[in-house]
Amino acid sequence: MSGYLAGRLAYSIFVLWGAITIVFVTVRVVPGDPAQLMVGAQGTRQDVEALRHRFGLDRPLPVQYGGYLAEAVRLNFGQSLRLEQPAVDAVIQRIPATALLALGAMTLAVAISLPLGIIAAMARSSILDRAVSAVSLVGQSVPNFWLGIMFILIFARTLRWLPSAGIGGAEHLILPAVSLALLVIGVLTRLVRSGLVDIIHEDYVRTAYAKGLSVRPVIVRHALPNALIPVVTVAGLQLGHLLAGAVVVETVFAWPGVGRLLVDAISNRDYPVVQVAVLFITAGFILVNLLVDLSYAYLDPRIRYR
Amino acid sequence: MGHTYTVEGNQGMTRRRFVRGTLTLAASAAGARMLPGALAAAAAPPSAPAGELKVSLPARIVALDPLGPQAAEEPVRIVAAHVFDSLVVRDTKTRRYLPSVATKWESPDPTTWVFTLRSGVKFHDGTPLGARDVKASLERMLRLRGPFAPLWAAVDTVEAPNDGTVRIKTKTPLGTMLANASLLSILPADKMEQPGFFNRPVGSGPFRVVSYRPDNELALEANPGYWGMPPGVRTLRFRDIPEIAARVTALITGEIDLTFALPPDQLAALEKQKGVQIVATPSYRYYFIWMNVKRDPFTDKRVRQAMIYALDIDTMIKSLMKGIARRMTCPIPSTVFGYSPQRAYTYDPRKARELLAAGGRPNGFEVTMIWNPDSGPQDRELAQALISYWNAIGVRVKDGQAERPQWLERLLKLDWDMDLQTNGVVTGDADFVLRRLYTTSANRMGYSSARVDQLLNDAAATVDQNKRKLFYAQANEIIWDDAVGIYPFELVQGYAYRTGVQGFIPSPSFPTFTTVTVKR
Repeated sequence: MSGYLAGRLAYSIFVLWGAITIVFVTVRVVPGDPAQLMVGAQGTRQDVEALRHRFGLDRPLPVQYGGYLAEAVRLNFGQSLRLEQPAVDAVIQRIPATALLALGAMTLAVAISLPLGIIAAMARSSILDRAVSAVSLVGQSVPNFWLGIMFILIFARTLRWLPSAGIGGAEHLILPAVSLALLVIGVLTRLVRSGLVDIIHEDYVRTAYAKGLSVRPVIVRHALPNALIPVVTVAGLQLGHLLAGAVVVETVFAWPGVGRLLVDAISNRDYPVVQVAVLFITAGFILVNLLVDLSYAYLDPRIRYR
Repeated sequence: MGHTYTVEGNQGMTRRRFVRGTLTLAASAAGARMLPGALAAAAAPPSAPAGELKVSLPARIVALDPLGPQAAEEPVRIVAAHVFDSLVVRDTKTRRYLPSVATKWESPDPTTWVFTLRSGVKFHDGTPLGARDVKASLERMLRLRGPFAPLWAAVDTVEAPNDGTVRIKTKTPLGTMLANASLLSILPADKMEQPGFFNRPVGSGPFRVVSYRPDNELALEANPGYWGMPPGVRTLRFRDIPEIAARVTALITGEIDLTFALPPDQLAALEKQKGVQIVATPSYRYYFIWMNVKRDPFTDKRVRQAMIYALDIDTMIKSLMKGIARRMTCPIPSTVFGYSPQRAYTYDPRKARELLAAGGRPNGFEVTMIWNPDSGPQDRELAQALISYWNAIGVRVKDGQAERPQWLERLLKLDWDMDLQTNGVVTGDADFVLRRLYTTSANRMGYSSARVDQLLNDAAATVDQNKRKLFYAQANEIIWDDAVGIYPFELVQGYAYRTGVQGFIPSPSFPTFTTVTVKR
C-alpha cells in the first residue's frame, strides 16, 4: 500500500509540474498584456514599460519560467498583478466557498441519481424509465448559466422562497448547488441504470431471489455494490466537470469562489493568479482520483493495492 | 416600443425630489396623527446616522487602494469617495471645486499651488491628518505609476512646510490641478506602506471600513468623528452581484436597496415594478467611433464625414438605446468642463454617397471595426446597427469583435481601420480626453493638427479657467469639423433604488451615498 502511494505521489508531482508549465506558457502566448490592461488606454508607453519591469515581464520567457519554478518549489507563487495581495492568498481565501459548492452539488447529484437509476433499471422500458432518461438528458443538456438565471427568476423573484445571490446560510447554497448538480445527475443516473440492468440478470441475483429475499435487500446488498464501481469512477471524473461548471454558476449566483476568481484573472491576464488557481484545481483533481482508486478496494474486496 | 423615461437635470432633480420627500413626510404624519412639532423634528436632518444601505455596484471591488494600479476603476473610486478625503471635491452641478480637506488654495505664480489644510481632521484611528500625509499620498501614487500618475506628470516637487500647508511646484503650469486634486485620496503617511494595510484601510472620510470579503461584501460604518456632514446611514454595504438578472432580482426582493448601470430592457421592466424608483442623469461617459486617419481611405476628410452622414443617430437612440443615451453635440459630453456645442451632422445617406464619390470612393470600400464586448451598454446591437447603416452607402464594415486584452493591444498599436468604444471623462475636465487622445504626440487615431496641439497644450498650461474654456471651444470645433471621430451619443446613467431610499443625488460621475437615508 505505501509503495503504491509513493508511486502515486511521484506521479502527481509530475502531473502538477506539467499543468503549471502548460498554463505558464499558455497565458503568456495568448495576446494581451497585463501591464497594458492595468495602465489602460490613458497610460504612456513608459508607464506600461515600467509596470512590465515591476512585474518582471520584461525578462526573456525561459528566465521568467526558471524563476517561477525556483520560487514555486519554495511555495512562493508571486504577487497577484491586480489584487494587491499574494496570488496564493487570493486563491486560498476562495477555496472554502468552491469546495462547499462542489461537495454540495455532488452530494445532491448522488442522492438524486442513485434512486432514479434504480427505479429506471427496475422498471426497464416502462414510461417511468423513459421519463427518467428524458429528464436526466435535459438536465445535462441545458446550459447551466441559463438554468441558473431561470432559477433566480422563479425561486427568488417570483416565488421569493430563496435568496437570489451571495453566500450565507443553507438557503443560499440551494440554487447554485442544484444548477451545478444537474450537470452530472444525468450521467450518473444513466450509469446506475445501465450497471443495474446488466447485473439483475446475473446468476447470483437470481440465486438471491431464489433463497427468498425480497427486492430491496437483493438490490441494495447484492446488485448495487457491483454496479457502483463505474459510478464512483465517473463521479470522481465528473468533479472536474463540476469545477468547470462552477466557473459559470459562481458568476451567476455571486458565489465568491475560485471559479469567479479564475475568470476574472484570465480576462485581466493576472498570470500569477491563473497559475495558482490551476495548480490548486489540478491538485484537487489528483486527490479525488486517488480517493476514487482507493475506494475501489473498499467496494470490491478483490482489489488490493501493493 | 419607443420606450423612454425622463432625464432630469441635476437641479430639477433635487427640487422635484425635495417636493416629493416633503409630501411623503406630510402624508405619513397626518396618517399617524403626529403633532406639528414631531413633523418638524422628522423633517430636520437626523442627528445621528441610522439604518443600513445595501448597494450593488456594476463591477467588483478589485482592491481598496485608491492610489494603486486599480485606482481608476469605478468601484475603487466609489469606495474611495466614502472612506477617504481629498483636498477638494468637484461640485458636479456648478462644475467648480469646493473645499474639503483643503479650506483654501492659491496659485501665487503659474507653477506653484499652495493648499491650506483644515485643522482638526482625524483619520479613523484617531491620528491627525496633516500636510505630510498629503505629500506621502501624492508621492505614493507617482511611485506606483497608477492610472492617474500621467495627470501629475508636470509635478516638480511637493513640500509640507508645516502641518497645515502643502506646496506643489510644477515644471509647467498645470491647469487641471484642482481636477487632479479631487481624485487624490489622502492616506496616513505612517501606515499606508504597512503590509495588509489595504485589507482594512484607514482614511478620514465619512465612513470607515468594518470588513472586506473580496467578491462578496464590503461593509462600511459611519465615522463618528467625521469633520463634515455626518452620513445619513450608519451602515453602508457594497454587495457584489455580477449577474444582472440576479442583481435586479435582489433589488426587487429587497436584498439590496440600490444599483445602477442596468441595460435598457431591465430598466424598462423595473419601471413597472412597485417599490422601485428609477432616476436617470447624464453621465461623463460617451460612445465614439474612431477612423484611423493614417489609413486609406480615412485619410480623406470627406470620406470620414460621409461615414457620419450615413448614420441615423436619433433612431438609434430611440429604438436601440431606449432612453439611456442623448445625442452628442461635441467631441466631449455636455456634462464636462470645456464642452461647447457644434452643428449636427444630420442623417443624409445621399450626401454621404456624394462625399464618398468626392473622396474618390464612389463604390465604397471594405474595412474592419474593432470593439470589445465589455465596452458599453448595447454594444453588440450598436455595432450591428452601425455596420448596416454603412452598408447602405456601400461601405462594407467587418465586425472585428475581440476580447478586451486583445482589443486594447490592437487599439494602442493603431492596428485597426475603425474602433468602437466608450470612454469616461474621469476628471470631468476636457483635458482628460482631448489632450490625452488628440495631440500629434498622443497618436491614438493618427490625427495630427498643429493648431489642435497648440490649443490643447495651451489649455493644459493655463490656470485661468475662462481662458481654458476658450481654447477648448476652438479645439472642439476643429476636431468636430475634421470628423476625426464619430460621436453619436453620451450615455445616461440610470439609478434604480427602493422607495425607502431618500436623499440620493445621482451624479454624472461616480455616485456617493453620504446624503442617503433609508426608511424601512
